[in-house]
Amino acid sequence: MKLLTKTNVYTTITTVLLFAMGIFVVYEVILQKLDKEVDKQLLSAKTQIVNGLNDGISPNEFLSNLGQKVYIKKVDKQTVFDNKFIDYIENQSSVYTSDDDVLQRELLFQTVVDGKAYEVTVCSSLSEGKKTGEYIIVVVLIFLLVSVIILFLLNRLISAFIWSPFYDTLSKIKTWNIKKNEILDFKTTDIDEFHLLNDTVKDLTRQIQSDYHNLKEFTENVSHEAQTPLSIISTKIELLMQESNYSEKQHKLLVQTYNATQRLYKLNEGLILLTRIENKQFVETTAIDLVQAIEEKIEVLEDFVEAKQIVVEKIFNAQVTKEINPVLLTILLNNLFINAIKYNLEVNGTIKITLNEDSISVENTSFSDKIDKQFLFDRFNKNSISGSLGLGLSLIKKIVDFYNWHITYSHKDGTHKFKIYM
Amino acid sequence: MRILIIEDEKSLREDVVDYLTENGYKCDFATTIKSAIQKLNDIVYSCALVDVGLPDGSGIEIVEHIKKHNPEMGVIIVTAKNSLEDKLQGLKIGADDYLTKPFHLSELSARVYSVLRRRNFGGKNSLIFDGLEIDTTEKKVIANNIQLQLTKKEYEILVYLASNPKHLITKEALADAIWGDKADMATSFDFVYSQIKNLKKKLNEADLKDYIKVVYGMGYKFKS
Repeated sequence: MKLLTKTNVYTTITTVLLFAMGIFVVYEVILQKLDKEVDKQLLSAKTQIVNGLNDGISPNEFLSNLGQKVYIKKVDKQTVFDNKFIDYIENQSSVYTSDDDVLQRELLFQTVVDGKAYEVTVCSSLSEGKKTGEYIIVVVLIFLLVSVIILFLLNRLISAFIWSPFYDTLSKIKTWNIKKNEILDFKTTDIDEFHLLNDTVKDLTRQIQSDYHNLKEFTENVSHEAQTPLSIISTKIELLMQESNYSEKQHKLLVQTYNATQRLYKLNEGLILLTRIENKQFVETTAIDLVQAIEEKIEVLEDFVEAKQIVVEKIFNAQVTKEINPVLLTILLNNLFINAIKYNLEVNGTIKITLNEDSISVENTSFSDKIDKQFLFDRFNKNSISGSLGLGLSLIKKIVDFYNWHITYSHKDGTHKFKIYM
Repeated sequence: MRILIIEDEKSLREDVVDYLTENGYKCDFATTIKSAIQKLNDIVYSCALVDVGLPDGSGIEIVEHIKKHNPEMGVIIVTAKNSLEDKLQGLKIGADDYLTKPFHLSELSARVYSVLRRRNFGGKNSLIFDGLEIDTTEKKVIANNIQLQLTKKEYEILVYLASNPKHLITKEALADAIWGDKADMATSFDFVYSQIKNLKKKLNEADLKDYIKVVYGMGYKFKS
């Protein structure tokens, strides 16, 4: 869930709850106030009635002035009690009114006029007040709804505005590539936290980048500097090997030294090649007919294909011409094909090369099991084949990445398939 | 035949001079453009080995000088591994062949032989040994007056070995010579081995002496 959504949801829930509580309180207060008002009216009616009765005015006369229902009855003996307020619901259902239940409040009291005791009931309707209260609630509710919506939108707008530097930073970090020598440049912000974040990230990436470059430079230098002494060692051993009067033990040592040196030399060569691809030293391109290129490479490797009696099937579904560096294409195809030959079966092996408009795939039967995809293209991840340097697939991957292509690997019924989408 | 080696790197130069001398060539060397041109003006060479990266400039200058004053002379340029332009430029102005550093000494010897053959120095176009004649113009191998039926690879291996007589040729050098760095080591060694086996068998069947010797674990030797 997005931070903005989350804060917005919490704010909205809180606002609604607070408003609901507010409305409840307001409603209660209004009702109580109304009750008091009604009571006041009833009491003032009482005073008028008592005064009227004392003045000997006929009840009928002042009753019409009061606008309230008054019931007066004579009682034999006065019982002493204070003013009694009673709430009740009067059922007024009739043909004329649709409101059937009307909330009433009456004041019951006794008074003595001229030695005669009267019991008086004054009635007043509460419905009016209640209705007013309900109106208020409805208005408040509408107001609440509108304010919640406005608040919600406003919150979103403000948050989006406030958080925009943060999202900018986030997206820039996400697309940041250590291999590209780019310096992160963030939106300027006046929010201290974001400012601090940006500064920290900037420092951090700068540090990482510089470490990365130092490390890269170091490995490159090691590879390059090692090349000359390695070739000298290699040549000197070859010269040593020209001598013939060695003991069996010396001969064996010499062979082992030579083999190890050759291996190291080839390995170093491979690493330098990887670095050179990484450093974009193969940028010049030529339009190359892939059909022709594949045919040529297969021809070069024909000896190995024949030695293993592998059946090579070539399916060219399209005539494809690519703008590509010839060296890289050679390395790519060679490694693909050499792997397909090297890991192929000793008998009845097949290789199927398919070229489509946008892809090239190489399928080969193999003695080896499915390769773990996770480490497939890692350097020095190799199936235990002697003499293998374990750089072939990582070279393929490097070239595929260099051209922003995509490579997939699948394994089915003992057949390995590499497919490159171009 | 006299060969001029122009190379400033002492260790490599010494190895090259020693190796080529052992193969029967007379070798002189120079370490700068200036001294090289001086030598070229004084002595007639059959072939020059020119390193492109020299301390006082590009070896290309020497190639231009040679082509201007002695176009008959064979020229092999030596370039660093990743200087494709030097290589192309060298070939364009008339170098016969190129080698990229580092190279196997046997490869150099084979190239020198090939250039000299093409330039017709010494008037011979074939390698002749006792009962064995390798005609490099016709690409034929004649053993005891009968033409041998060799595959292309067998022929290439034989020529390579024969142009480095008495020397041990490592299997790496042989594999590199035939496939360059296109082939994976282990696979190509196996292939070289089987090719040599067939080649030996064919030479044997033609009643020739055992020209090719296998040196266990190291490589092969052509014994004339």
